[in-house]
Parts: sequence; C-alpha cells; structure tokens
Amino acid sequence: MPEPLLRVEDVVKRFGGIIAVNHMSMEVYENEILGLIGPNGAGKTTLFNCITGVYKPEEGRIIFQNEDITGLPPHVIIQKGIARTWQKVRPFKKLTVLEAVTVGALLRTPDVDEARETAKEILEFIGIEKSRWNRLGSEITLIEHKLVDLARALATRPKLILLDEVAAGLRPHEMDELAKVLLKVREEYKLTLIVVEHVMRFVMGLSERIVVMHEGKKIAEGRPEEVANNPRVVEAYLGTKPL
Amino acid sequence: MPGTLSKKLALTKERLYSLVGLAIVLALVPVFLGFNFYYVLLATNVMLAASLVAAWNIIGGYAGQLDLAASAYMALGAVITGHLLASFGLTPWIGMFIGAAVAVGVAVLVGYPTFRFGIKEVWYALLTSALVVIMMRIYYLIYGSFETYIPHMEPEWLYLTFRRYEVYYYMLATMLVIIIWVNLKIKDSKLGYYLAAIREDELAAEALGIDVRRYKLYALMIYAALAGLVGGIYITLTGILSFRLFDPWLGIVTAVMGIVGGLGSIGGAVLAAVILRSLEEYLRGAIGATYPGSHLLVYGLILILVGVLKPEGLASLLDYLKKKIIRR
Ligand SMILES: Nc1ncnc2c1ncn2[C@@H]1O[C@H](COP(=O)(O)OP(=O)(O)OP(=O)(O)O)[C@@H](O)[C@H]1O
Ligand SMILES: [Mg+2]
Repeated sequence: MPEPLLRVEDVVKRFGGIIAVNHMSMEVYENEILGLIGPNGAGKTTLFNCITGVYKPEEGRIIFQNEDITGLPPHVIIQKGIARTWQKVRPFKKLTVLEAVTVGALLRTPDVDEARETAKEILEFIGIEKSRWNRLGSEITLIEHKLVDLARALATRPKLILLDEVAAGLRPHEMDELAKVLLKVREEYKLTLIVVEHVMRFVMGLSERIVVMHEGKKIAEGRPEEVANNPRVVEAYLGTKPL
Repeated sequence: MPGTLSKKLALTKERLYSLVGLAIVLALVPVFLGFNFYYVLLATNVMLAASLVAAWNIIGGYAGQLDLAASAYMALGAVITGHLLASFGLTPWIGMFIGAAVAVGVAVLVGYPTFRFGIKEVWYALLTSALVVIMMRIYYLIYGSFETYIPHMEPEWLYLTFRRYEVYYYMLATMLVIIIWVNLKIKDSKLGYYLAAIREDELAAEALGIDVRRYKLYALMIYAALAGLVGGIYITLTGILSFRLFDPWLGIVTAVMGIVGGLGSIGGAVLAAVILRSLEEYLRGAIGATYPGSHLLVYGLILILVGVLKPEGLASLLDYLKKKIIRR
C-alpha cells in the first residue's frame, strides 16, 4: 500500500456533552475520490472542520503529506493544499462571481491581473457561462453558488478538496453535470476528492471508495457495492434515509 | 523591472479622470466662494470631514469593521504635531508624520488583541468608541483642562501658521485627493480583494487562505495613519490643543457618513461627507440659534431615510447616475 495523502488518526471532537466525532480514523489516497457518507448528525461536517482547521480536535492527529497539521488555522491548512466547500453556502454577496474566484487565486500570487486570469480559466473549465461572471453573489442561483464555491476553492490550487454536500438541492440532470465536472476537474488538476453526500446515486456513482460514519465513528469502508450491502450500514440508515 | 512602479501608482483611465476632475473642482471652490473668509472656513471643515470619512472607508467600508475611533487617531496626530510645534518648534511637516506613526502604534496596540480575540460588530463598535474616551482621559490626566495655544511663527510655510484659510483649505483638499487615491489603489489590489472577502464572510475568507487578523490590522494601520495626518494638518488650522480634540461624537459621525455613503464606496462616502457636513453647517447657521442641536436631529433623520429608502447608500445613487450617463 502506498503512503496515504491524508491520514485521520483517532480524532475526537466534542461540543459540550455531545461527541460529534468519536475516535474517527481513515486514510485518503492520492488521486482517489472517496465518498464519506452517514446519516444526519454522523459528524461528517465536523470532521471536515477538524481537517481544515475550523475546529481543533481534542484528541488525535491529522497527517497530510507526512506532516502533522493538527490544530493549524484554516489559512495555513489551505496553503498546505487542502481546500473545502461549504454545506451551507457562504457567498461573498457583494463580490461578483469573477471577483470571488479571484480571491481564491490570490493565494498563489500577489498579482491581481494574474489571479483574475486564473479565475477566468477555472470558471470556464467548470462551465459557468461568461455572461454570469459579473453577477454579484447576491444575484446567482443555488447551483451557481455551489459552482462558485467549488471554483474559488479550486483557484487556490489544492491537492485535496473536501466537498460537503455539493449536490444537495440540485435536480437529477444538474447532478449528472456536476459529477462530470468533478471527474474532469480531478484529471485536469491532479486532485484528490472527499465527497460528503446524502444523495446515494450521486456519491455511489462518483466514488471509488466509501467510508461510512455513524455517531462520530467509522462503521464501514469499502467499494460502493460492498458498503451498500453491509448490514451495519443498512441498520445505521434504517429509519433515517433509505439507501 | 522598469515600469512596475509606475504601474503600481497608475489608476484606470476612468478613475484617473474622475480624480483629476475632482481635484480641479476642489481647486476652484475658493474662487467660487469669492475668497470669503467665512465660507472658505466652512469649505475647509467640509474637506476635513471628507478626508476623515475617506480614511474611515478603508477600515469601515472595505474591511467592514464598524470603527468609531476616527477622532481618536485624528486627535493623536493633532496633539502630537501640535505639542511638538508648540514646545519644541518642530515643523508640522515632520510632526504630522510622527503623529501619524504614533496613531499607527496605538492602532496596533488596540487592534492586535481586538482581532486576536475575534471582537466584531457591535462589540468592536463599543470598544473603539471607548477608545476615544480613554484617550481623552489620558490626555486630561496629563494636561488637565488646560488649553495650549500654538503661537504665530515665521516663516509661515515652515510652521504652517497661515493667516488665511485658503492655504489650509488647499492642504486638506490635497490630503483628500491623496486619501481617495489610496482608497482606489487598495480596492484594486490583493489587499482590497482580501478586505472585501473578510467583510463578506470571515470564515470563508480564512478558508481561502486569508490571514484575517493580519489583513484587518493592515486596514486599521493605514486608516490610523491617514487619520493621524489629517489631524496634523487640522491642528495647524485651529492652533488650540485641548482634550476636546478626542471627540467621541466625531468618531460616530464619521462612521455615519461612511455608512450613508454606502459601505465600501469611496465616491459615496466622500459625497455623504460633503452633503452632511455642509447641511450641518447650514442648519447651525440658519436655525441653530433658535433650535440648538437641531442639526443632530437631521443626522438621525437622514440616517433613517437612507436606511429605509436606499439601504445601499448614496453609492447606489451614484451607480445609477453613472449608468444613465454611459447609456446616453
Ligand atoms: N458548532 C456546533 N455546536 C454544537 N454542536 C454541534 C456543532 N456542530 C455540530 N454539532 C453537533 O455535532 C453532531 C455532528 O454534526 P455534523 O454537522 O458534523 O453532522 P453531519 O454528519 O455533517 O450531518 P448532516 O448530514 O446533517 O450535515 C450533531 O449532533 C450536531 O448537532
Ligand atoms: Mg454536514
């Protein structure tokens, strides 16, 4: 087995009495698409927040490219090459689409014109129409928000990108489009992806490997079809969302 | 690389023309006022307010921090320039830069822990408002209610002790143009993009690699430096050093003007300052004697009106006019 790109080791994160992430461990390998699933409140978003430095885990370590990055602040983590999108969109309402993506690109250059060019390339690549580039963040649709969120994360030139429910709220044909874009993005930018998603058709189709979380722990791991037939997984999902 | 510096100093054509246009208008104002002593003084006061609001726009408009301490940084620049002149005969040309440096020092002392502990929004407003009062008390502890007067010194151009207001008017008008230019440069730079992202969503900004605390501090330092310089010029105009320079109300009014102007729009901010400050003087003159304090009421009313009718401030009005003109 090769060295994993990212290793989550025994991470614990509590909120008062709630243990959101409870001794969670997993590995992510270079260039793969890993699906991270689990019922509501399983701790997926909290785990993302621990990896990206939004929260500092109480226990455990996070190793990225053989470097311990546990507890580093978000602006340092992204410099190392881990970007993320948000489950609940966090738009820059008074910036245009192009400006928002330029903000991301400015991480790798102090030159605004150069960053703007990078932003344009990425917008073009993920398929946001030119006519929408000068729209303000307050004027665009949900799918555009998701794509802009993705674009500004990509503009930071990450090695690993964490997608938190990018497909939520999209119509089936929009999801197919998005899946294609993600595959294309992975090829072009040599990316590794962790995809958190409730829409099973989307995540099962896209991911090469699946990790299942429940009550803050990993309860299963494997290829999509293995996981789908795992009795523990079925049990975890019973009474919540059907597989 | 030749050309990089000139590129850094350059503005886009449209902005350069607006700025030059503004400079010409400002240069002609005293002529239109017939060099009337009183009117030129009023115009000087308007320039003062506009400069301060333009400086505030960097922290308040671009970085989105509701800072109410503009008068603290201005007064610091003023008292330091003034005392260096009155006590040591140091020319304000140097004194105002020392004053600005001290204002920056205080801004770092206050800003570092403030941003470190994530103090934001209304708490930031309260803290900065308190800063003005604290600075006033400190000055009071040292000098009491004693007022220091700057004597007339020759040569006038060295000590800035002119007998005519036109000179002060032109100095502040120049300062205003410089501060607007700084604003425009920031807006188009990496710093400008980063401040806008911070204003819109701090966490999203930080996740895109922005060291939020550091960039907020940069904005605060630039603002404090500019406000300090304005103060340094202002004191040569009034020539009276007193604890009253640390005026909490002025800090609030500055922020109000910036907000009425439309957050983040330098054009709107300056326009708001010019209109509100002129109106205030007019009202003070027209009905102030009969109804003292009525100009304060007008501030409140205008703020409510803008809040209800044009939440985007005067900037949206400017945008609208610009679009109309371009379409023609
Ligand atoms: N900031 C917070 N403060 C307190 N509790 C929190 C916080 N964030 C998450 N939690 C709790 O931690 C647990 C895990 O939440 P998390 O959002 O990580 O789940 P999730 O797997 O992302 O769920 P979903 O699929 O609904 O997005 C939940 O019980 C949640 O209520
Ligand atoms: Mg979640």
